Amino acid sequence: MLEDDSGVTKKRTLQLSSMSVSFRSHEMGEVELSCLAYAKMYLHASQFPRCSVNGLLLSSSPAGGDVCITDCVPLLHTHLSLAPITQLALTQVDAWCSQTHQRIMGYYQANACVSDSSPTPCALKIAEKIFEQCNNAVLLMIDGEKMFPGCRVPPIVMYERKDARWALKDKHTIMLRQWEETCAIVNQLFSSGDQALLVDFDSHLDDITKDWTNQKLNAKIMELISPANGNV
Amino acid sequence: ITSTNVSLSCISEMRDKLRKWREENYRNSEQIVDVGEELLNEHASKLGDDIWIIYEQVMIAALDCSRDDLAWSCLQELKRQFPDSHRVKRLAGMRLEALERYEDANKLYDSILQDDPTNTAARKRKISILRAQGKSSEAIRELNEYLEQFVGDQEAWHELSELYINEHDYAKAAFCLEELMMTNPHNHLYCEQYAEVKYTQGGLENLELARKYFAQALKLNNRNMRALFGLYMSASHIAASPKVSAKVKKDNMKYGAWAASQISRAYQMAGRGKKENKCSVKAVEEMLESMQITMS
Repeated sequence: MLEDDSGVTKKRTLQLSSMSVSFRSHEMGEVELSCLAYAKMYLHASQFPRCSVNGLLLSSSPAGGDVCITDCVPLLHTHLSLAPITQLALTQVDAWCSQTHQRIMGYYQANACVSDSSPTPCALKIAEKIFEQCNNAVLLMIDGEKMFPGCRVPPIVMYERKDARWALKDKHTIMLRQWEETCAIVNQLFSSGDQALLVDFDSHLDDITKDWTNQKLNAKIMELISPANGNV
Repeated sequence: ITSTNVSLSCISEMRDKLRKWREENYRNSEQIVDVGEELLNEHASKLGDDIWIIYEQVMIAALDCSRDDLAWSCLQELKRQFPDSHRVKRLAGMRLEALERYEDANKLYDSILQDDPTNTAARKRKISILRAQGKSSEAIRELNEYLEQFVGDQEAWHELSELYINEHDYAKAAFCLEELMMTNPHNHLYCEQYAEVKYTQGGLENLELARKYFAQALKLNNRNMRALFGLYMSASHIAASPKVSAKVKKDNMKYGAWAASQISRAYQMAGRGKKENKCSVKAVEEMLESMQITMS
């Protein structure tokens, strides 16, 4: 048993093989997080270190069965709790998803105040809305305190819907394949300067020639993901 | 690059950049550190009296980038030149804040305020510490007290509106933005933020206010996309409401249609020649279409 800073006791299995973090559980409710989705979330949080940021988690795998978060759309870095732009973004991402055979199945947020990674009322509200359409929706909070070079654990905390509330998801059921390779890819994006390519919906509204679907950045990330990796 | 190789025009270009960023209050700290560090390390002798304000600017940017080494050396130069200055003391306090030594920082600010109770900079730093510690309600309380005395401080009103928005206290956020709009009637951003708050509060009356202020923001800046989308969405929602008269419905459908055509046009222009924009253009078109269906 290990205690983290908030005094909450968490069971953590430090089975860090060179290829993946956390082992496959045979229980239902396993969620896989793709390299592409993780990288863009991380880049989003890094691009606005002084702001709270949020975004949507997408899946291109069919509903039912194991869940895989295959992509994400970074949304806002200002006024997360105001309605109009959030509504606008949800509508547009929805439209784009139906064009591209994806579905919105989760929400992520990184709080400006690094020492507190608990879900805000705003996060719960949006996650609730997503849950109405998707019954295995997840809420992902990025833990800013674990975002430093050389950190051996993914800086994420995931919640799922259980008994009419959002409960902490068992870390054993969160899969991040090729964790070390994912970290290497993120580092590569920073050293090449490609991390600046990331566009969120807020930035798109400041300049609508910028692409919030991040086609260019996606292509760069896919290039870096080795062909041997089945995690697409 | 030694100082003999860098031309004077290059140095003056760097100085101009720093001045522009200072005057416009940009927080591009990485760039400021980049340019400023080179200027200070290589060309200090050519900066004249500007050097002190550059030390201050670079120090603050260095704190923002966790460059305590650079911040410390800037602070030493400033302390040496202005040994009893409250302004420099405040900078020392900011460094303590960056190191999360909040108690020490507060002591420093309190000593400034003992000497000079009207020192607004020290008061505002104390409020920033409350914010950094996540003590929102206390920050709000202190900021309200501050504004009772310094009612014209725009920066403080805006900070307060942000705090209220984070706490979901939209009525009070609206009040702050009303103050800002009164004193800055040409600022389209305040109009648009006010409209967003009203929209969030919801209800027919607030939606109509939202629409009016989105329209006002557009009048002040016709390229404000948030205002354009906001106008479209508020007008559409009003038109779709069963509680409005036929005339109100008709008027709002007109506003909505106008906004939709402006949005379409803007996206067509933006998408021209850029392959990667096809996705966002398509998404907007679909959205406009689907909302038309629900409205009619």
